[in-house]
Amino acid sequence: MQAQQYNFQVVKWFAYMAVVYLVVGTGIGVYIASELAWPDLNFDIPYITFGRLRPLHTNAVIFAFGGSTLMATAFYVVQRTSNVRLWSDKLAWFVFWGWNLVILSAVITLPLGINQSKEYAELEWPIDILIAVVWLAYTFNFIMTLSIRKVSHIYVANWFFLAMMIMIVYLHVVNSLAIPVELWKSYSIFSGVEDAMIQWWWGHNAVGFFLTAGFLGIMYYFVPKQANRPIYSYRLSVIHFWALTFGYVWLGAHHLQYTALPDWTGSLGAAISLAMIIPSWGGAINGMFTLSGAWDKLRTDYILRFLVVSLAFYAMSTFEGPVMAAKTVNALSHYTDWTIGHVHAGALGWVAMVSIGAIYHMVERLWVTKIYSVKLVNLHFWMATIGTVVYITAMWVSGIMQGLMWRAYDAYGNLAYTFVESVEQMHPFYAMRAMGGLIFWLGGCIMLFNVTMTIRRALAQNSEADLTAAANIQGVQHG
Amino acid sequence: MTDFLAYFHTDWAAMTRQDWLGLLLTVFVFVLLFAVYWWVLSPRNKEKIESHRMMVVDEEEMNAEIESDGRKK
Repeated sequence: MQAQQYNFQVVKWFAYMAVVYLVVGTGIGVYIASELAWPDLNFDIPYITFGRLRPLHTNAVIFAFGGSTLMATAFYVVQRTSNVRLWSDKLAWFVFWGWNLVILSAVITLPLGINQSKEYAELEWPIDILIAVVWLAYTFNFIMTLSIRKVSHIYVANWFFLAMMIMIVYLHVVNSLAIPVELWKSYSIFSGVEDAMIQWWWGHNAVGFFLTAGFLGIMYYFVPKQANRPIYSYRLSVIHFWALTFGYVWLGAHHLQYTALPDWTGSLGAAISLAMIIPSWGGAINGMFTLSGAWDKLRTDYILRFLVVSLAFYAMSTFEGPVMAAKTVNALSHYTDWTIGHVHAGALGWVAMVSIGAIYHMVERLWVTKIYSVKLVNLHFWMATIGTVVYITAMWVSGIMQGLMWRAYDAYGNLAYTFVESVEQMHPFYAMRAMGGLIFWLGGCIMLFNVTMTIRRALAQNSEADLTAAANIQGVQHG
Repeated sequence: MTDFLAYFHTDWAAMTRQDWLGLLLTVFVFVLLFAVYWWVLSPRNKEKIESHRMMVVDEEEMNAEIESDGRKK
């Protein structure tokens, strides 16, 4: 049949920028982790203090790296599984430049202290409007591409992408409702406990939809594709989708146990969190069992290693999260570094690993070449895995120690330790965390070098037109 | 009343319009989810749903099956 003309150019740019942002975002993370261990590193310069750079780190890794990965993969997968070109090339490029403009705005405003003080939604109102416009363009192009598909069934990966897109519109718009008082200052229309509730309704669903549903879309396409095996159970994937979509939106209140919120909201959040272990593990098992009968591929397939290890971390963190949501455990874990460890088990182990696997997979197909150095990919895999384990282990020990020190009291009912004493005890673990992050970051640098060299070599060997034609033909013949 | 039952005590007279709307929506979603699970897990639908398993692996085959009107069966 005639080769289908896909728009892979925009996918290539998103994929490459995702790798750049992985290095930048985790690099900032390593720096601020070092600041916590060695505070002199802020050099008394306000722009690089922890308070200014921490939101820049979270925005860079979640929205710059994660967002670019989601845009690359969603545009790639919807074309491949629908057998059509993107509905609008212009809109796709608008999304690319618009999203990068958002990232640039964050890089300028956050170090300057221009900040709404809403976690994971720090950017001020003009940038929030830009985010909404760009995200709607992304969503609209995706939906329209599905509407012109040449295949009747919409593959489950696209369901996950679509759920993420629709929910993020809803969450971002409601959470960002604010009254501007000047160009770079606004106040949320919510106040007090309502503000907290809305904040964590957004905060946890940013995790649930942006960092989970979207990346599950990646998992459901790239795991079977890379393993060259059908997904273990399509029925399980359907149940996974509906349970996750309807379940996740209830969880936010588990971030606010023992606060001014009504007690039942926290209980509801904890109960639904525990129930969510079932679909989450169903999805993880579905991905892992896809390798049934082909586990030997893990010995040789470096991309599959990233994807399968990401599923192990997904299973682990979706068990840990509900446990931490339970009130008894939360009484110990809340406000401690255990939470930071949990977040990074998900962020580094699940989100980054599955993204890295997908990007390596796409790079070879988009540029119709083999990776520049397989040895470097293997090295990257071990650095990413070891870095993640070192990081989260340090935070587990540190967090549990913090919780125990804060709640310890003597026979007279006095606190056994001062807060400063607990901080002092954290120092070795903060240094260890910085080392774990550094190892992970160095792995990202290796990836950037490897991907850049792969692209340079591919471009040197073939003209861009040849590459585009070859990628399109390959898309039809091999998928 | 035990502590357990007291925990679930509801003052129905104090329910606002928003409370009822939320409650009805929640029950509706629960029923909808139950219906989805029933449909998905029914043995009668197994073959139909699982037929999509191969979609990603068999993209070449899928493309070949696209009918002249541009839609796959």
